[in-house]
Amino acid sequence: MTDPVSSRSDDTIVRVRGLTTVLNGKTIFDSLDLDIPRGKITAIMGPSGTGKTTLLKHITGQMRGDRGEVSVDGQNVPDLSRENLFRLRERIGYLFQNSALLTDFDVFENVAFPLRQHTKLPEVLIRNIVLTKLQAVGLRGAARLMPTELSGGMARRVALARAIVFDPALILYDEPFVGLDPIALNQVLKLIRTLNKTLGITSILVAHELAAVQHVADHVFLIANGKVVAQGDAATLANDGSPWTRQFFGGEADGPVPFQYPAGDYGTALGFPGGSL
Amino acid sequence: MSARMDRGVVTQSLAQIGACGLFLLTLLAAIPRSFRYGRETVRQIWFVGAMSLTIVMTCGLFVGMVLGLQLYDVLSIFGGTSATGTVVAIAIYRELGPVVTALLFAGRAGTSITAEIGLMRATDQLDAMEMMAVDPIAYVAAPRFLAGIVALPLLGVVFCAMGVFGGHLVGVTWLGIDNGTFWSNMTATVDVHKDIINGVLLKSIAFGIVVSLIAVYQGYTTPPTSEGVAYATTRTVVASSIAILALDFVLTSFLI
Amino acid sequence: MTQRRSYAVGTGLFIVLGFAALAYLATQTTSVANARQGDSYTLETHFANVGQLKARAPVKIAGVRVGSVQAIDLVPGKEEAKVTLSIDKAHEDIPDDSVATIFTSGLLGDQYVGIQFGQSKKALAEGGIIGLTRPAQQLEEMIGKFFGGGSAADRLGGTYKVTGHFTNVGSLQAGAAVKMSGVPIGSVDTVVIQPGHLDAFVTLAIDKRYAQIPDDSAAAVFTSGLIGSQYVAIQPGGSPEFLKDGDEMVLTQSALQLEDLIGKFLVNGSPSDNKNGAGKSGGQPDASSGK
Repeated sequence: MTDPVSSRSDDTIVRVRGLTTVLNGKTIFDSLDLDIPRGKITAIMGPSGTGKTTLLKHITGQMRGDRGEVSVDGQNVPDLSRENLFRLRERIGYLFQNSALLTDFDVFENVAFPLRQHTKLPEVLIRNIVLTKLQAVGLRGAARLMPTELSGGMARRVALARAIVFDPALILYDEPFVGLDPIALNQVLKLIRTLNKTLGITSILVAHELAAVQHVADHVFLIANGKVVAQGDAATLANDGSPWTRQFFGGEADGPVPFQYPAGDYGTALGFPGGSL
Repeated sequence: MSARMDRGVVTQSLAQIGACGLFLLTLLAAIPRSFRYGRETVRQIWFVGAMSLTIVMTCGLFVGMVLGLQLYDVLSIFGGTSATGTVVAIAIYRELGPVVTALLFAGRAGTSITAEIGLMRATDQLDAMEMMAVDPIAYVAAPRFLAGIVALPLLGVVFCAMGVFGGHLVGVTWLGIDNGTFWSNMTATVDVHKDIINGVLLKSIAFGIVVSLIAVYQGYTTPPTSEGVAYATTRTVVASSIAILALDFVLTSFLI
Repeated sequence: MTQRRSYAVGTGLFIVLGFAALAYLATQTTSVANARQGDSYTLETHFANVGQLKARAPVKIAGVRVGSVQAIDLVPGKEEAKVTLSIDKAHEDIPDDSVATIFTSGLLGDQYVGIQFGQSKKALAEGGIIGLTRPAQQLEEMIGKFFGGGSAADRLGGTYKVTGHFTNVGSLQAGAAVKMSGVPIGSVDTVVIQPGHLDAFVTLAIDKRYAQIPDDSAAAVFTSGLIGSQYVAIQPGGSPEFLKDGDEMVLTQSALQLEDLIGKFLVNGSPSDNKNGAGKSGGQPDASSGK
């Protein structure tokens, strides 16, 4: 196994250079450059459909760009063989938007799943690790529940316990706040912060909730039209006055992101002769 | 997707068959890796095989009984009712056993494989496995594929045994064919190689490969929506049924 | 973990059940059930013609299975088949002057080798040769012996015509063969119903070479083989006068239905006057007339 991610000393963990991706004729990333600092909580924000989740998938190697470089800890992800990619993924935690717990197994087995797949640890040790992680997310008592018996917030916390079971150097959170009630939201926020502070895990989160992001993120990237349009810490970004940040953080309906989906001439579509109204 | 809709049914079917063939290659390549998940395969054999036993045994019994009844009726025209056992056994071993079992299997186990994998796709469980560095082809698809190939011949054999029992029940117990005649005529004519190995086993294994492949493929390529899962399940039954009957003809013409 | 173990146990049971069913099918419902693989010894026989006999066909004594055909080869350089029989050790008392015959089980069944004991006190040993054999009888030949058979006569020398009335000609058609003692001697010229009559009027064209047919001979409509075409058989009478062109045959026998034929054969031993002495009890073919 190669060196663990955390042993590297330079302070950029994910480096994206000139990433260009075209999906179904639509340009998702247009020569995107991005540096995610190590040991921090970084938020990636942007209007829906700008490819924030797609970016996470590029980092984990689930998708490959058409051009450009995505390197995690110095390894260029698109060049990795399947084996090395899997080895890299063992060191990355990924929290899915809908938790993606395996419905065949109960909570305990879900958290134990990566351990059982990749290690030959004795049962006692697996049990200890799993219970520690469940305790960390406050669900040790729910170990024997099935995923269908969990609420959305609980499922997400179980998924989080599963994501950190290997003590990864990097966790990717895909929309961790969607559909949570305020209590669950705060619990998840607290967990993200705790994991970052106590274990030093680098966190990348994709989110829309400005208040939550401001609460937790050290650094924010705002992505639109396939490029980074603004970056900085949450507080300065909200006040930097560019049209992008104004529209996004101010929640205005129209701006650089148009209200209208690109369409032909309205008058023509309605059948008025002579075109434009 | 919508652009593809416009193409003819033939082109679309060909594209499906081609994609399915490529998927088979991926699946075969993943089988050595799936041996680490032997337990998962065992669990799937339980789900697709043992859980289908009831329906297979019930249907086998009734098919055998109906055959016994019909053949007794027809053969009595020629005064050949003593051949009832022979014809029941041969009809079941060569055709009805493997074909009906495969059709039942497609309806009972094939659909559940498709729906299960489809739902795993729709709820990101397959992606989650990828992210946990577990190959879903090796962990999810291959064990189900292998389980189908193991389970279907076993089910087919059980179906045949029940069918012969049903034929015996009707022919001997109810219609009064002599028990000794029933068995001696059967054992004189039925051949292990031609009827059991080439009939039940070979056909069942071939059907097992085809049905499991279709079920796994449909599940794996399901569009991640609830509608997609529903369509994929239907397609599994339709495609499997056509494939079973067409393949049956091809196999029969080679084996006979 | 207990959950998983129960799957394993259940799956194991399922697989065992499947294999048990397979073993049952393979051993109890197929020919394997007959082939008790006990100790056996081999005997060798030579047949002029094995017909449809196949390897693994049963070998029977008095109808009881005692072994199977192990191999069928040609004797090098001879038009003769060597058949190796594998006989159960339990039956080591076959006299060395026994006769091996190839029989057909039933009318349409498979062929098997039957062994009929001789009188000798010496038993055949491993590798022994059964010297006396009777080759396979083709079903066609057997039935042909009862009913005659063969192709229509060549009409090189011209024909003369005789007529006859039949109450039923079955499916007899113009062009069908006319045979005597199984030899084609002519053909059916016309099959009509004469005005004013209720029976069929058949005209036979008989080859001039066969002019010496007694005028009290009988004509009968027979079927060649089980599902063959029908023909007219002439059974010679004892009159010193011969049939001439334009004569009418008074004694006629109408077509019999196949069922009648088989029924007569099974019940009475022979449907007709037993020309060939065939049809001994049990339906065994008479080997002596085969060659």
